[in-house]
Amino acid sequence: MKKFLKNIIAFSILAVIAGEVVVRMTHAMSDIPQRTIDKYGIQKYYPNQEGYWKGGDHKWTINELGWAGELPSSYNNLITIIGDSFIENFMNPNECHQSAYLEEKMETYNFMEAGRSGVSLIEAMEISKNMDSLQPVKTLVYVNNNDFYESIREVKLMEDITQLNLKDSSIAYGKMKAPGLKKVLYTWKLLYYFYNRFPLFVQSNNTEAVIENKVDEYENQLKSKLEIFQLIDYISNTYNITKTTLVFHPNCNIEIIKKCKTAGFGVIVLDSSKDETSWSFEYDSHWTCYGHERAAQQVANALLK
Amino acid sequence: MLFNSIEFFVFLPIVFGLYWLIGGKNIKTQNLLVAMASYVFYGWWDWRFLSLILFSSLVDYSIGLALGKDQKQSKRKVLLWISICVNLGFLGFFKYYNFFLDSLIDSFTFFGSELSINTLNIVLPVGISFYTFQTLSYTIDVYNKKLEPTKDFVGFMAFVSFFPQLVAGPIERATNLLPQFSIERKFDYKNAVDGLRQVLWGLFKKVVIADNCAKYANIIFNNHTEYNGSTLLLGAFFFAFQIYCDFSGYSDIAIGISRLFGFNLKRNFAFPYFSRDIAEFWRRWHISLSTWFRDYLYIPLGGSRGGTSMKIRNTFIIFIVSGFWHGANWTFVIWGALNAIYFLPLLLANKNRINTNLVAEGKYFPSLKELRQMAITFFLTLVAWVFFRADNVTHALSYLNDMFTLSLFSWVEIFPSTILALVLFFIGVEWLGRANEYAIEKVGFMKKPIRWAFYVLLIILMFAFTGEEQQFIYFQF
Repeated sequence: MKKFLKNIIAFSILAVIAGEVVVRMTHAMSDIPQRTIDKYGIQKYYPNQEGYWKGGDHKWTINELGWAGELPSSYNNLITIIGDSFIENFMNPNECHQSAYLEEKMETYNFMEAGRSGVSLIEAMEISKNMDSLQPVKTLVYVNNNDFYESIREVKLMEDITQLNLKDSSIAYGKMKAPGLKKVLYTWKLLYYFYNRFPLFVQSNNTEAVIENKVDEYENQLKSKLEIFQLIDYISNTYNITKTTLVFHPNCNIEIIKKCKTAGFGVIVLDSSKDETSWSFEYDSHWTCYGHERAAQQVANALLK
Repeated sequence: MLFNSIEFFVFLPIVFGLYWLIGGKNIKTQNLLVAMASYVFYGWWDWRFLSLILFSSLVDYSIGLALGKDQKQSKRKVLLWISICVNLGFLGFFKYYNFFLDSLIDSFTFFGSELSINTLNIVLPVGISFYTFQTLSYTIDVYNKKLEPTKDFVGFMAFVSFFPQLVAGPIERATNLLPQFSIERKFDYKNAVDGLRQVLWGLFKKVVIADNCAKYANIIFNNHTEYNGSTLLLGAFFFAFQIYCDFSGYSDIAIGISRLFGFNLKRNFAFPYFSRDIAEFWRRWHISLSTWFRDYLYIPLGGSRGGTSMKIRNTFIIFIVSGFWHGANWTFVIWGALNAIYFLPLLLANKNRINTNLVAEGKYFPSLKELRQMAITFFLTLVAWVFFRADNVTHALSYLNDMFTLSLFSWVEIFPSTILALVLFFIGVEWLGRANEYAIEKVGFMKKPIRWAFYVLLIILMFAFTGEEQQFIYFQF
């Protein structure tokens, strides 16, 4: 038995090393940039990182300011683009980012992105406030229904996301979720591979799905609407939204859109229904390069009107 | 719990450690641990169905004891039939109730009447076909006085629910497995290493070959109208390797794990795709089921002893029942009947046992004749697999209709070269190891660093080419 266990341990160590080498060489898992929380409570990335997306077809980069993508060559006539993983856009190369497409279509403007997966609407507004020092001529905030729900603590409590506490109109900044575990997982790629391949907490994921369903059910209920409307009112009263345009993903709730218009936001509503080709990846709801190009075209058309 | 899941990778070392460290040389403690571990393993999927296994064990254990005591033939027969009815009753209800009801409703509709009975929303307990046949073999063998009834209920529970082979076989005979629960089991280094090697090969078959082939088989079968004949043939080829590597991979893992615990299970696959005729194929494919049907159905029906009509009848019965065992769908019945049609000419011409030796024994390459024979046999099984894989009979017929057109000779529309290269690598390893119990059994001749490098290569291939995780196909049977 001793010999058996000794050999098993020795072989396991060898296999783990070989597995780590293979996972890294084949880019079986995406490289993940390391996050930090700045002095304003905003979660962003450590500057100047780069890595490969899953499969190794392209690299993502984090710029000097800690956001994904490249910085503009000039900050004159600047339009800032804020959003979640759609704007962060690690799954596509830099030339498929909104800023790249918009720059092609609106040559007299410069564009700068600030995107991070999990950004809620309220966090997007906080980011926008912090970017005011760059004096943008316009701020585009890309949103979908969930960004509104996830902004409200009373509707969907999420400790890792910046949210508005409607009870006392205070902002609860997001905390880093299991930073130690994440650091280990992102460094030890084989472990991260296993973690993804064989998820341990399937049940808790299901619980989240149940919460999301509840949110969908709330969609047409007065209570949730009231809270969302309160959120929109809070934003319009607290932040300077005169230069802010909300870019709604296709199929967003029409009542939310109407309320945002009345509150004073500029509004662009994206529409993919007339497109025969899907905007999204087959196994991922994020947009492909095609989707980004189509979205940018619609945004540019609306802005140039 | 799936063999290729993280839960199992935690579960197995714990059970292994407890079994040898706490169980030690005490058979009763070891049996209790095996029974408990098996119930946890099964209950992980759905604990409610544990009651079915427990009830089945209780019934057959009691009937076994009664059969041992009672010498009166008529009473013994009644006891045997009680066991058969209880076991097949459960199987029939859970697996075939809705099928028979649907077929009855369809027949009434066909003759212009309407029958309104609601089908039930029945969940098929995983592995019910396997453990039912296993417990039945115990009662039948005790009835036929081939086996003494056991008085050790815990050992019997462990035999019925033995976790390595509980949900997808091999279907163990009581005469082989049950006595192993009453003899002292000592840890054997060589046996354990060999077991782990077989587990590794089984995982490779499942994770790399079966799951990757499944991806393309699914694409082609689900959209068959969009592809030409040669692509449809490729789809059937992918499914042939999916089902073989999925099922034989499971068997390898089951046999290998059993070895870690000191048990020896029967061989379930013997390189069936190197068969030179259908009779040989059926001696090499799902051996534990084929021999079960042979011993408990074919021979009691008279086997091939009677005249031609009896031979034909019995052959059709055994193949159709075998098809029906796989699932409550006419596609399985047709799959069975088609194999009977392939097999009958050999049986009637008395040529069903001409290829009992190893193909190209002691040679690296087969002769042209052997190659031709293997290709024809493989092609015949490929056609039959279309029925096995199709959603319904119409789907299968439409698939074959689209396949057997002139476009069969055009270039394929899907050509996943990496997956095909992996399948070729697999075929090569299987061919070189075809004289062994499993393909890589005899890699012991290599020096340790080379042998370990080969194992690491298999693991690397698993990491690099892991297909999308699919449940083992035979779980649904």
